[in-house]
Amino acid sequence: MSGDLDTGAEITWCTGCGNFGILAAVKKAVKKLEENGIQREDIVISTGIGCHGKIFDYLDLSGIYSLHGREVASAEGIKLGNPDLKIIAFGGDGDCYGEGLAHLLFAAKRNIDITVIVHNNGAYALTTGQASPTSPKGFKGPATPMGSVEPPIEPIGLLLSAGASFVARGYAGKVKHMSDLIVQAVEHPGFAHIDVVQPSVVFTDYYEEYNDLVDELEDTRSTKFEAMELARESDRLPIGVFYREERPTYNEELLGERNPVKDRLSDEKRLKEIRSFLDV
Amino acid sequence: MVSKDDVRAMDEELFTVIIGGQAGQGVKKAGEAVSKFFLEKGRYVFEMDDYQSLIRGGHNFASVSSSTEELFSHHMRADVVVNLDKTSYEMHKKNLTPDGLNFYNSDEIENGEGIGLPLTSMSKEFQRPQLIMGVTGIAVLAAVVGENKDSLVSLVNSVYPRGKEDNTAFSKLVYDEVLDKVGSTLDLKEGDCRNRMFPGNHVIALGAASAGLDIYFAYPMTPASSILHFYASHGDKLGVTAVHPESEIAVANMAIGATIAGARSMVGTSGGGFALMAEAFSLAGMVESPVLFVLSSRPGPATGVPTYTEQGDLGFALHQGHGDFPRIVASPGYMEEAFYLTADMLSLLWKYQTPGIILTEKHLSESSMCMDVDPSKVRTVDPRMHEEDTGYKRYLFTEDGVSPLTFPPSKEAIKWNGEEHDEYGLTTSRSEEVAAMHDKRYMKEKAILEELKDRHTVNVYGSGENVIFTYGSTTLSVREALRCSGIEAKVVQPIYLRPLPTWELKKHVEGRSIVVEQSVAQQFSTLLEDKIGLEPTSVIKRYDGRPFDPMDLAGKIKEAIR
Repeated sequence: MSGDLDTGAEITWCTGCGNFGILAAVKKAVKKLEENGIQREDIVISTGIGCHGKIFDYLDLSGIYSLHGREVASAEGIKLGNPDLKIIAFGGDGDCYGEGLAHLLFAAKRNIDITVIVHNNGAYALTTGQASPTSPKGFKGPATPMGSVEPPIEPIGLLLSAGASFVARGYAGKVKHMSDLIVQAVEHPGFAHIDVVQPSVVFTDYYEEYNDLVDELEDTRSTKFEAMELARESDRLPIGVFYREERPTYNEELLGERNPVKDRLSDEKRLKEIRSFLDV
Repeated sequence: MVSKDDVRAMDEELFTVIIGGQAGQGVKKAGEAVSKFFLEKGRYVFEMDDYQSLIRGGHNFASVSSSTEELFSHHMRADVVVNLDKTSYEMHKKNLTPDGLNFYNSDEIENGEGIGLPLTSMSKEFQRPQLIMGVTGIAVLAAVVGENKDSLVSLVNSVYPRGKEDNTAFSKLVYDEVLDKVGSTLDLKEGDCRNRMFPGNHVIALGAASAGLDIYFAYPMTPASSILHFYASHGDKLGVTAVHPESEIAVANMAIGATIAGARSMVGTSGGGFALMAEAFSLAGMVESPVLFVLSSRPGPATGVPTYTEQGDLGFALHQGHGDFPRIVASPGYMEEAFYLTADMLSLLWKYQTPGIILTEKHLSESSMCMDVDPSKVRTVDPRMHEEDTGYKRYLFTEDGVSPLTFPPSKEAIKWNGEEHDEYGLTTSRSEEVAAMHDKRYMKEKAILEELKDRHTVNVYGSGENVIFTYGSTTLSVREALRCSGIEAKVVQPIYLRPLPTWELKKHVEGRSIVVEQSVAQQFSTLLEDKIGLEPTSVIKRYDGRPFDPMDLAGKIKEAIR
C-alpha cells in the first residue's frame, strides 16, 4: 500500500466536487487511526455505485466495488467473515438512502460493527442530476423538469429510529472536522453512520449557503429525541456527532469469540462431528 | 393407454403406508414414526411429505414406502392408509392396493369403506385430543403387522418425547382397537439395511460442512428453509455460522462479502428468492467470488405453489445473472450424490473463483431416504493462493484465467471490483482492457470444461435399447419405476447441467429415447435437443406440483416404448 494511499488512478470527479473533501478526510483519518493502533491493512472498504463509488479506485485499501445500494450488505458480509477487520462502507444518497435503504436500516438495527459514510449531495449526479431521496421538494432535474413533487428523507432521524448507535453529520467543506468524525466512527464499537453533506458543483452547488449555515456541535445530544430535533433545524446546519451509545454488536452476539476464518475446526474435528450426525 | 393397474409392482416386499389429516394433527411426525419403525426392521425407507402452505387445517399426508431392497421413491398405492379426518378419507380411498387396509375415523364417517376407528371419542378423555391424533399411524401399523405392544410403546416414547404419556396411552388404545377389529393380517419381513435416513436438505448441509463451509446465509423460503434451520441448530458443532438477514438481496451480497474475507460461503433459496439474487449472482461472476447457491425448486411462476415440487427453474439456473461469465450448475440425482456433489461444488468454485448452483427440487430437499456416505471421501481442493510478499494483483492474468487469492489483512491492497477492471482491480473502460478481462474470465470457463471432461459427469443406470434421459430428483422416480416394474431401459442422468457434459451424453443418443421431467415447457428436453441434437420419441412430464408415482410413471414408460 502506498504511503499516501494513492492508487495512481486518474481522478474523474469534477473540479471543486465535494468528493475531494471526503477523499482527503478519509486519508487523514486512516493516518490518525494508524497512530491510534489500527493498521491500514485491517481496514477494508466497500462502495456502491455513483460518483461516490469512484473513491474505491482512489484509495489504496482492500475492498469491493459493490453494486448500486449493496455496499452495506457487502460490508456486513466481510465483517462476518472476519470480525477483526474494520469495515468502512461508502454510499451515495440515491444509492444508500434509496436503492439500498433496507440494508442500511437493518445494519443499524442489528448494530453490526461497521462504519457507513454517505456522500449526500442531494442528486443522482453520475446519471445527470435526477432528484434523489434527499433532494428538496421542487428540485428540478431531467426526470422532474417541473420540480420534484416529493419531500426529502431526513437521514439522521431515520438512522436513529432504526437503532444506529453512532450518528454523525459531516460537511465536505470541513475536511479536518470530517476526518475526526471518521476516526471516531471507526473506533466506535458498533454501527456508525456519517451523513456527509456534499455539494455537487454541477447539480447542487450550495457551497456558499452551506458555508454560512454550518455550525460545529460542541456536544452530542443525550437522547435520541433531542438528536432528531437537532437534525431538523433549518436555520443552521449542525455538524458533528449527534448521538452515540454503546450496546452489544451483532457480530459479537452472533459469533461470540469465534472468528469464522481464523477459528476453523480442524479437518479431524469436523469429520468427527459430521460422522456423529451420520451415525447416531 | 396403459393404466397403472396394468403395471404391478414386482417387489413383493414393498410396503407403503399413507397417513393423512389436517395440519396440526401431527401428520409429518406420524410419517417419521412409521419411517423409524421400518428402519428398526432393517428395511430401506423413503418418506415423502405432502403438505400445504398453512399452519392449521387443510390436508397433509405422508407416504412412507419401504422394502428389504434398496428403493428410490415413495409410492402412492398403499398397503395401509390411515385417515385422521374426513378429507383424507375422501382423498386416499383411491390410493389402496387391492389387498390394502383403509382406516378411518368412524366418529366422522358413517359406514365408510374399510375399518372404522372411533378416534374422536377415544381421544376425548385426553387433554389435547388433536395433538395425540397423529400417533394413530404408528399404532395401526404396529397392530396390523403383529408388532408387540412393548416395542410400540418404546418407539412412541422415542418419537414423541413431548406428551409422552398421553401419546403412549392413546397408541395403546388404538393398537387394541385395531387388533380387535382386524387382527394382525399383514406380513412384514425384516431386512439388512443399517443406514440412517435423512432429508435431502440436511444431506446438502452436511455435504457443504464436510467441505469446510464457514457461513450459510439465507432468507426463509420453502423448500430451502430447512438448510437454514439445520445450520442454526447444529452449526456450532460443525463450525458453520447461520445468518438470516433482511432479504435475499442482502443474503447474496453478504455471501460475496464473506468470501472477500476468505470465508467459504453458501446461500439457499427457491425460485422467487433466487430471482432477487440475480444481480448479486452476476456480481459474483464479475468480482470472481466463489459463492455456492442452492436453488431448491417449487412450482412457479411467482409464488407458485410454495410447498410442492417442479423442475421449471432449469433454464433460470442455467442463465441466472446478466452478462457473460462462467458458472457451474449441478443437480444431484440421489441423496449420497447430494452430499458429495455439494462438497465437491464448494471446492470446485473456490478453485475457479466463480459462482455456482446446486439445483434441486422440493422432492429431494424435503423427502427423506436411507443414505450411506463417508465424509472422509470428500475431496477438498485448496484455492490457488498468492505466495509472494509483493506484486499482488487481484486479477492477475494467468494461463487458465485463475488469479491467485489473498485475504485481508494484506500489506498490498486487494481490489475486488464489480465494474470492469484491470489486473489490479481498478476500474477501466479501455477497449483492450475490457476485452482482455472478458478473455480471462472466459478462459476459466474453458478450464472448467476441461476439468469436467476428466470427471464423472453422467450417471447411467441399467441397460437396454430404450434410453431414458432425466435429471435431479426425477431420477429417483424413474429408477423406482424401473426397479418395481421390471421394464428394461437405460437411465441417463447428467449430474452437471452447465457446462453440460455433451461428450458423455452423445454416447447415449441411440435407439428410442424418452425424456422424463417435471416441467410443462419441457425445459430439459429442449436443452438436450439444443446441445446434443436429441430428438426424443416421447417426453413424459408431470407439472401439478407432485412427484411422479413410480407405478404410474412405469405405465407411461411402458406405453412410450411399446
